[in-house]
Amino acid sequence: MRTACLLVPDLPLRAELRTHPEWETRPLVVTSGTDSRALVIAASSTVRAAGVRPPCSLTHARAVYPNLFVRATSLDADQAARNALLDAALSCSPRALLAPLAAGSFLGEAAVFVDATGVRSLFHSEEGFAAALGARAARLGLPCIVTIASSRAIAHLVARASAARGGPSREGDVLVLPPDREREFLAPLSLDLLDPDDRLAQKLTRFGVHRIRDLLALPRRSLAQRMGPEALQLVARASGRETEPPIPAPEAAKTEESIDLDTPVDRIEALLFVLRGALSRILERLEVRGLACHALDLALILEGGATDERRIGVAAPTRDPRVLLRLLALSLEERPPEAPIDRLSLATEGIPLRGDQLDLFRPRGPDPAALDETLAELQSLCGADRVGSPQVADDHRPDAYAMKAFRLRAASPPHSDHAAARERVPASSAVRALRPPVAAQVRVERGHPAWIRSAVAQGEVVHAAGPWRTTGRWWSREERFAIDHYDVQVSDGTVIRLGFDYMCRRWHIDAIYD
Amino acid sequence: MAPVPPSGRAGALAGQRPDSPLCPRPNGSKGPRSASADARLDTLLSDLGSHLQRGNRIPEPLPRLSTGLGEIDRLLQGGFPLGRLCEVSGSTSSGRTSLALSLLAHTTQSGECAAVIDLPDAFDPPSAAAIGVDLDRVLWVRPASWSETLRAAERLLDTEGFPLILLDLARSSSLPERIPALLLARRAASSRTALVLLSAERMAGSQAEIALEMKPAQAHFTGSPSVLEELETHAVVVRHRSAPDELTARVRLATRARSAA
Repeated sequence: MRTACLLVPDLPLRAELRTHPEWETRPLVVTSGTDSRALVIAASSTVRAAGVRPPCSLTHARAVYPNLFVRATSLDADQAARNALLDAALSCSPRALLAPLAAGSFLGEAAVFVDATGVRSLFHSEEGFAAALGARAARLGLPCIVTIASSRAIAHLVARASAARGGPSREGDVLVLPPDREREFLAPLSLDLLDPDDRLAQKLTRFGVHRIRDLLALPRRSLAQRMGPEALQLVARASGRETEPPIPAPEAAKTEESIDLDTPVDRIEALLFVLRGALSRILERLEVRGLACHALDLALILEGGATDERRIGVAAPTRDPRVLLRLLALSLEERPPEAPIDRLSLATEGIPLRGDQLDLFRPRGPDPAALDETLAELQSLCGADRVGSPQVADDHRPDAYAMKAFRLRAASPPHSDHAAARERVPASSAVRALRPPVAAQVRVERGHPAWIRSAVAQGEVVHAAGPWRTTGRWWSREERFAIDHYDVQVSDGTVIRLGFDYMCRRWHIDAIYD
Repeated sequence: MAPVPPSGRAGALAGQRPDSPLCPRPNGSKGPRSASADARLDTLLSDLGSHLQRGNRIPEPLPRLSTGLGEIDRLLQGGFPLGRLCEVSGSTSSGRTSLALSLLAHTTQSGECAAVIDLPDAFDPPSAAAIGVDLDRVLWVRPASWSETLRAAERLLDTEGFPLILLDLARSSSLPERIPALLLARRAASSRTALVLLSAERMAGSQAEIALEMKPAQAHFTGSPSVLEELETHAVVVRHRSAPDELTARVRLATRARSAA
């Protein structure tokens, strides 16, 4: 099985540059921590050219290059960059896997293994596939080395060898190794590329084993007896015979970008500036995979440890940054955070963006992007619970209704005999609800209302129909109800729906026929 | 230059001199000066640009939204026009809400979306569903004040894609003395939306393309035990820019009990 390896040798540096692209020209180094024993785990090309070779101590790096711009590594930014690399891989193949975190000499490395089986039918050649992978990763701010070999271990080794020679270039490096040339290519490579543990490395060095060909030339039984089973594992990796399960197709995961803020942010404008960058990175990752955003999950970690979490829905999947940023702004303005923000996380579950086959003769409806902004503004203006689509609630209580979010539905064709059907059905009357119901004083004669006084109708009852009794929720002392309804025409011309509430023993008018 | 009479309206020639070349003679013939007057008019129009048209050119008919009530549609020459401000006024229990919801039902059943800006919070979903409104295609906005109502109307008019917006102002105590009808009419025209005002009294004045007044309804109770069977009302066209006004139609609205049967 052919496997591709995308390798970013300086991931912490790339993670910082994704968040702050303006630091590209600075002599930037990324350290493993902020204490005095912190190691430099990644350095910009300027600093490396001066002689700083990560991993090394910060003291040594400063001695070589005095005016360093130092940043401590951010776990959130690193993880987001790793996931972005995985997104680039999944944009070309359905099966991709993040490599386990490296340690030791390769602390700043990130790698993704991609199933390269059958790619010729789509990319014409393995070189084309590798070039596409490299281009997608570069587009996400992660120039990388792409190698293709017969196994993950060999592809990884080849990528590390290329990195050791000074790659990747700004455009990325591509190397496709045919199966019959792998042994020849690997033979002169240093054993350090296999990253053996220190004890095993010392033993091998003591025995003069420095290259892969030297290791593969040793008899297996003797090697195991003298060096232990770890040495056999090393041989298996070097020869590409390590047992490797198939690369899985990953489950759908959230696309997330997190940012640790250097100083707490307490103004919405500054927060939106930060969010704009995170949103653009998320949308780039979605675009590479052909996905769109249908909801945003924003988590704000406030000073003091409190969390402000909110979900911003979108009427239709979109990748329009203007619309999404506007929705974020409206949400923050409607409900500002209660304290300055230390850290934030923005995530979305990408869903496929499918084109809509329009019909010349079907109504199109409002533009989804414009509708989202309109709905958000209306909710900000009137209240989130006062804007939406009405629903008839499954409830016997009078004026039972609900509201749900307004969503565009796929336009359905108008009924061909719609006009004729409407003509056959008699026109119906409607009521205007009174919220809350208006209290009424009613004089009853022979068990029926005879005279009404209220704010909406006053006079003698000309005609009355009813009563119709509605009861329900008898199991709840607070919610039970029993109401007698009447349809009443009053002498002032009003036709009303009158009710007598048995719970509070009062008359009210809850609707007007109009 | 003598004023050109408005298109489509016969007899509106008040103020025309009898010997004006634009005043038709009883026998239908033109006067001796009409040919030269036409030539001067043509020259003037070509100087002023092509955006001016002579009054005798017939404008393109506006697409209309049917109300689903045949009597009302015939009265309005097909329904409420898109891109225009119209109003339906009437007292309580005059049938104006039933007419508005019937219009809403017909629009949503055609597959279009519609918006209801409900200042008095009187929209009744069960009643609307019974009439045939597709509630999923209705955007219900419930502002709490006139300023919110106006802002919501402006926002929705700016969002093209809602061919019908019902602006319910009936029975509301927070209305100003005058509403910005000109602003609303212009926004409706630019977004090609039928903006229909529902109110107790006429509010749009001369900015309304159509003003329909609903007379108090007569309720009919029948049967034993008695049941409210229908409301009978009359609709009067008190203003119609492009058609004769003062026409009336009788409308009979069945209550749910009868229509369900």
